[in-house]
Amino acid sequence: MTETKKAPNQIVRLALILFVVSAITSGVLGLVNYFTKDIIAMRQEEARAEAYQAVLPYDGEYTSVSFDEEAWETVDAISQAGDEGWVVELTFSGAQGSITAAFGVDPNYAITGASVIDHAETSGLGAKITETDFTDSFIGQTEGMAVTKDGGTIDTITAATISSRAMANAANTAIAAVKALG
Amino acid sequence: MLESVLTISLGAILINNFIFSQFLGCCPFLGCSTKIDTAVGMGIAVTFVMGLSSAICYLVNELLVSLDLGYMSTLAFILVIAVLVQFVEMFLKKSIPSLYTALGIYLPLITTNCAVLGVVLLNVQNNYNFIESVVYGITGGLGFMLAIVLFASVRDRLQFAEYPESFEGFPIALVTAGLLALAFMGFSGMQIG
Amino acid sequence: MNLKQQFKEGLITNNPVLVQRIGMCSTMAITTSLFNGLGMGLSVLIILTCCNVAISALRKAIPNDIRLAIFVVVIAGFVTIVDLLLQAFIPALSSSLGVFIPLIVVNCIIIGRAEAFCQHEPIGPSFFDGIFQGFGYTVVLVLMCLIRELLGSGTFGTGIFEIVNGALSVSFDGSAAGIRIFPEEFGATILIMPFGGFLTLACLLAAMQYALRKSAEKKERAARAAKVEVVKEAVENA
Repeated sequence: MTETKKAPNQIVRLALILFVVSAITSGVLGLVNYFTKDIIAMRQEEARAEAYQAVLPYDGEYTSVSFDEEAWETVDAISQAGDEGWVVELTFSGAQGSITAAFGVDPNYAITGASVIDHAETSGLGAKITETDFTDSFIGQTEGMAVTKDGGTIDTITAATISSRAMANAANTAIAAVKALG
Repeated sequence: MLESVLTISLGAILINNFIFSQFLGCCPFLGCSTKIDTAVGMGIAVTFVMGLSSAICYLVNELLVSLDLGYMSTLAFILVIAVLVQFVEMFLKKSIPSLYTALGIYLPLITTNCAVLGVVLLNVQNNYNFIESVVYGITGGLGFMLAIVLFASVRDRLQFAEYPESFEGFPIALVTAGLLALAFMGFSGMQIG
Repeated sequence: MNLKQQFKEGLITNNPVLVQRIGMCSTMAITTSLFNGLGMGLSVLIILTCCNVAISALRKAIPNDIRLAIFVVVIAGFVTIVDLLLQAFIPALSSSLGVFIPLIVVNCIIIGRAEAFCQHEPIGPSFFDGIFQGFGYTVVLVLMCLIRELLGSGTFGTGIFEIVNGALSVSFDGSAAGIRIFPEEFGATILIMPFGGFLTLACLLAAMQYALRKSAEKKERAARAAKVEVVKEAVENA
């Protein structure tokens, strides 16, 4: 930290050592990344597939549908499950960070199920949005959902109103986005 | 645009305050809060570093992602922050020496302040764009400053308070911080929009 | 510096959280379930041990002027490796700890041990220092989790233990519901919230200060008694 004048070759030596250490570290990281990259991608794909099956069971292939990405900022993807309905995947902010969740919507625009794919909520509080006790309260609901605390019918998780409210809003968005498909 | 900026600012300063709700930056918060002047100085320095590193790290992250090197981001971020802190240190030493001596050992420690690396990582995690990242960085720093200044002023009165001997020093400071966190929880009911 | 003494230092007399008071952010932030606490503690233990060994091995080659920069690069490297491995093999832990895994880079425990210990000591002691200091950190995390979880939501071991059909089952994918000790309604939810983090750590620190003071007093009393004996003997001899 002291600003003493150093001989130029001394500075070059320091820079060289730092460079070598960084290069070795990057090399090792690249190697680890090479081996874990596919496994991580596979895990994410598995988690997504599992969530899709949970919210709207379907034997065939989910086909992705194009939608107005400008108008539906929080919607990541909409997939059609034949005549059964649609699965809408959204990323939105919860109490601590973003939540990624999938909602199943049937042709009558009612929710068939909800499942959280990824979240950063506090475990023991907001993390309860992943539990079936909570997600089951979405089944059969139609647009205009609100948590019990706001006078609606979706269970409010104790001490996690923000997370519960975010999920209810996302479910409404999911239905609206499907309706907008026409 | 304006709405999202407002949401982010209110969230970072009050609702999800870096210290009271996310526990980011506790070390300088507890270490550098015995005097109000020092607390203000620390707050300004951290706000500056957080804003600047949010901006630079956003660009760095874009570059890394485009090169398919996203896994190197943590390493790159911490190096950017370390260089920035060094820069702030040199600047303060030349232009505001009194603040430089007051901050003492805590200045180089901004590098290891988790609020700074935390804000940069959260920007990536929340998919913020350039403006949102910078706003989140600056307002997150302001939230940190609010917390540390409030805490320093409460801590001033602690010397006149009576508490069990075993709680002397750090423990009582933590209890005080906890009570402030409790007060900040009141903001979590706030809804924007 | 023998092993027994190093172990005692890491666990009690020089415990990273309770005595050195570093690394408190993560201690308060993630200790809401046993799964998180244990996962975080073990991750730090592994990273700390690797960094200690690497830095100790390089200690003669690292120029003093840029040692902090090199420490940071080495630490960030190991943290990223552990982060990638967790994402690949224990995704539940990785998503539940979120940003706190990459934040291990700035956890003062690791850089503190590098600065205070490994840059002077050979590889062997540095290795054990990493294990014992990491163990001391893990013990504090687990303790915090147990207290906050039990009093906050009335469960034990969320994410790891579960009672299925009357039998205890242990799993490591973070989905276990925990063992219910008393109904949730009676729990003080506030302990799971940020306030609980501050309060629980404050109480643990106070308990530690109390214990250290008591043991110091005891030693002092013993020393004084010994001195009195010596004086008595001297008087008798004279």
